[in-house]
Amino acid sequence: MSVRLAGDAIVLEGPCRVEDAEPLLSLLQAGPDRTVDLTEASHLHAAVVQVLMALRPTLKGTGQDGFLKTWIIPALIGAESGDTPPEDG
Amino acid sequence: MDDLLDHFIVEARELIQQATDDLLALERNSDAASHIDGAFRAVHTLKGSVGLFDFAPMGLALHAAEDLLGGMRAGRAAKHGAAIDELIGCINQTERWVDAIERTGHLPAEAAEEGYRLARALRLQLDEEAIRREAPDSEADLGWIEEAFGPRLASAALRAEATPLVALRYIPRADCFFAGDDPLALLQSVPDLRAVRISNRNPWPPAAEMDPFSCNLVIEALSGTVLDAVKAVFRFVPDQVTIHEIAPGAAISGHAPASHDATRDTVSATSGSGTRMLRIDAARIDRMADLVGEMVVAKNALAHLVGQVGDGSGRKDLLQGLHASQATIDRLVAEMHRAVMDIRLMPMQDIFRRFPRAVRDISGQLGKTVDFSIEGEDVEADKSVVEGLFEPLLHVLRNAVDHGAESENQRVAAGKPGRTRIVLRARRVGDRVLIEVDDDGRGIDPSVIRRVARERNVAPAEELDRMSDAEAVDLIFAPGFSTAAEVTDVSGRGVGMDAVRATIERLGGHASVQSTRGAGTTIRLALPVSVAMTRIMAVRVSGELYGLPLDHIVETVLLPASRVLPVRDAEAFVLRDRTLPLIRLAGLLGLPPGPEAASGMKIVVMAVGDELVGIAVDGFAERIDALMRPLSGILSGMSGVMGTTLLGDGSVLMILDIPELLG
Repeated sequence: MSVRLAGDAIVLEGPCRVEDAEPLLSLLQAGPDRTVDLTEASHLHAAVVQVLMALRPTLKGTGQDGFLKTWIIPALIGAESGDTPPEDG
Repeated sequence: MDDLLDHFIVEARELIQQATDDLLALERNSDAASHIDGAFRAVHTLKGSVGLFDFAPMGLALHAAEDLLGGMRAGRAAKHGAAIDELIGCINQTERWVDAIERTGHLPAEAAEEGYRLARALRLQLDEEAIRREAPDSEADLGWIEEAFGPRLASAALRAEATPLVALRYIPRADCFFAGDDPLALLQSVPDLRAVRISNRNPWPPAAEMDPFSCNLVIEALSGTVLDAVKAVFRFVPDQVTIHEIAPGAAISGHAPASHDATRDTVSATSGSGTRMLRIDAARIDRMADLVGEMVVAKNALAHLVGQVGDGSGRKDLLQGLHASQATIDRLVAEMHRAVMDIRLMPMQDIFRRFPRAVRDISGQLGKTVDFSIEGEDVEADKSVVEGLFEPLLHVLRNAVDHGAESENQRVAAGKPGRTRIVLRARRVGDRVLIEVDDDGRGIDPSVIRRVARERNVAPAEELDRMSDAEAVDLIFAPGFSTAAEVTDVSGRGVGMDAVRATIERLGGHASVQSTRGAGTTIRLALPVSVAMTRIMAVRVSGELYGLPLDHIVETVLLPASRVLPVRDAEAFVLRDRTLPLIRLAGLLGLPPGPEAASGMKIVVMAVGDELVGIAVDGFAERIDALMRPLSGILSGMSGVMGTTLLGDGSVLMILDIPELLG
C-alpha cells in the first residue's frame, strides 16, 4: 500500500502503481484541501500523475528519484500553473 | 496598451477572418481539404499567439477547435453540420473576446465558463472512438514542437548544442493503462532527456467525474540522443508517438505551419473600428523613401538659388533656376502624392470577406435560405472609403435578407429557385467605385411605399401622388421612412436607409435603388475611388467659378456660334463628324446666361457614361489639384455637387457632378 492518509496529508511512498490512482482520487475527492506528500515516492505511474494534474492538490516534497525530481514534479507544477483549465473567475 | 498586445489584436483579427473564410467555404464544400488546412493553420497560429498572454479560456477553446480541425483533417471527425457550427461559434466568441481585449485589455469575467463550455462542445464532436485511435500528427505538422519547446530551443544553452535533438510527442491511448502501459515509465527510458512537458489532451472533468483509468495525457519531450534510440523506446506503441529530429540551432518556425497567408503582400488593413493600422508592401515604402531623397536634393537646389539672390547674380539666371526648381518640386509633389494615395488604397476584399458570415447569421436568424456571392473584391479604393462602406453595406445586406428574400415556399410558388440569390458586387467605373447589392427577392412595391410614406408623413400627400414609381421607391432613403413599427430583430435598430444614404454621401458618393416588383431589388452605391486629391479644371459661368473633375474632360474647344445646331428644344454641335449634345452650364445651374463672346463659345467636351457631351461655359480658368471635401452640413443634400475645395485665395469652389446634373 503506497497511498495512506496521515492527518491532512496524503502520503505517497515508494513506487506508486496504476492501482494507487483510485485510492488517491477518492482521498482527494473526500478532502480537496489535502496536501499530497511526495517526499518518499520513488516513481509515479502516469495514472497517478494525471489524478494530481486534474485535481491540483498542494504538493509537498520532490520524491526520491532523479527522474521524478527533474522532470515529473516540475512538469506537474508547470501544468498546474499553465495548462489546466480555470474552474472559475 | 502595449505594442505586443496591439499586434496580437491585429493579427488575431486576420486569423479570425481567415478561419471564418475557410470554415464557410468548408460548409459549402465539405471535401475541400485545403480549407480544413487553412482553418487549422489559422486556429493553430491564433492559439499560439493567445499563449503569449493571460487569456487561458481563449486558448482552451481554440485548442479544442484545433484538435477538432485536426480530427477532420485526419478523417476522424465529421466535416459538416454541427461540427462546423461549433467551430464558427468558437471563432465568433473569439472575435468578441478580441473586441473586449481591445477595449479593456483583458477577457471579460464570464470568459472562463464560456471557454470551458466551448471546449467541451467542440470535443464532443470528436467522437469517443476516434479519440482512442488518436493518430500521430502528420510528418508535415511540426507546430507542436515549437509550441512546446520553442522558448527552450531558443535558449542559448540548447542552441549551442552541436548535436541534433530529438523531439517526441507521445499521446497514449485512453485505454493504455488496461494494457499495462505506464507512459511515464516509457518516458523514463528515453536517454538524455532535455525537456519534458506533460499536459492533458482533453480538459479535465470535474473532480467527481474523473475516471482515473482513462489516460488523458499528452507527453512531449526533447532528448539529446539519436533518433533510433528514441524510436526503440516506443517500438511497441509506434501509433501513439511522433518523433522528429531537429537540426542544431534550427529555427523550428521554418517547418511550422506558415502563420500568414503569403498572398497578402500589398496593403491590408484591419477592419476593426478602433484600430488604425495599415500593412504596406515594402516596395511602396521604398519608393516613398526615394522620393523624399529627391525632395531633399530639390530643396538644396532652392537653397542654392536663395544664395544667388544674396550674391546679386544675374536676374535672368535666377529666373531660369527658379523655374527649373519649381518644375522639379512640382513633379516630386505629384509623385509623392500618388505614392501616398497608393498606400491608402485597399481592396474591397478587406471588408467584403466579413459579409458571408454576417449574411449566414442573419439568414439563420430569420429562417431564410440565401445564396450569397461576392464579385469584384479586388477592386481598390481609398481606405476611408472602403472602411466607411462596412456599416452601410451590412445594413443593405440585412435589408436584402429581411425584406427582400421571400420564404422558400413563396419562392417556389412564384416559380423561382428556392434559395434567394444575393450578390454583392464592386466595379471600377472611371474614378468611381460602384457597389451593388442585388437580390432576386420580392422587390419593392411602390404602392406600399406610398402608403407607408403617407402614414409616416415622409412627404406631402399630393407630392406622393405626383411621384413616379421610381421616385416613390427612392423614398426608402428618406429620413423617417423606417420606424420602430417595422423594426425586427435584425433590421432596424435605429439605422434606416436614410443613414445609409447619409454615410455614402459623407464619403462623397451617392446611393440609389432600382427595384422590380416580384423580381428583385438592386441598391447601388457610387463612391469616389479616392476622396483625397482630385484634378480639377475651373470654369467661369455667369461671373462665378465652378470646378469640373478633369478625369471626365476629354478636350476643350472653341465653337463659332454659327455651328450650334438647334435640335427641337435642345442644341447640338458637330465635332469631327460626330454630333454631340450641347448643354449650357449656366442653364443647367439655373444661372442667368453670360455675355456671348465674339470669338465663339467655349466648350468643355466631357464623357458622361459612354456618351460625349459638350458643356458650354463662359471661360476656362486654371487646372488645380484640389483636396476635395465631401459635402457636409446643410450642403449635404445638394445634388449635382461632388464636393468643395478651398482655392488659394480662401474662396470655396464647388465641384460639379455633371452626370448627376444631367440626370
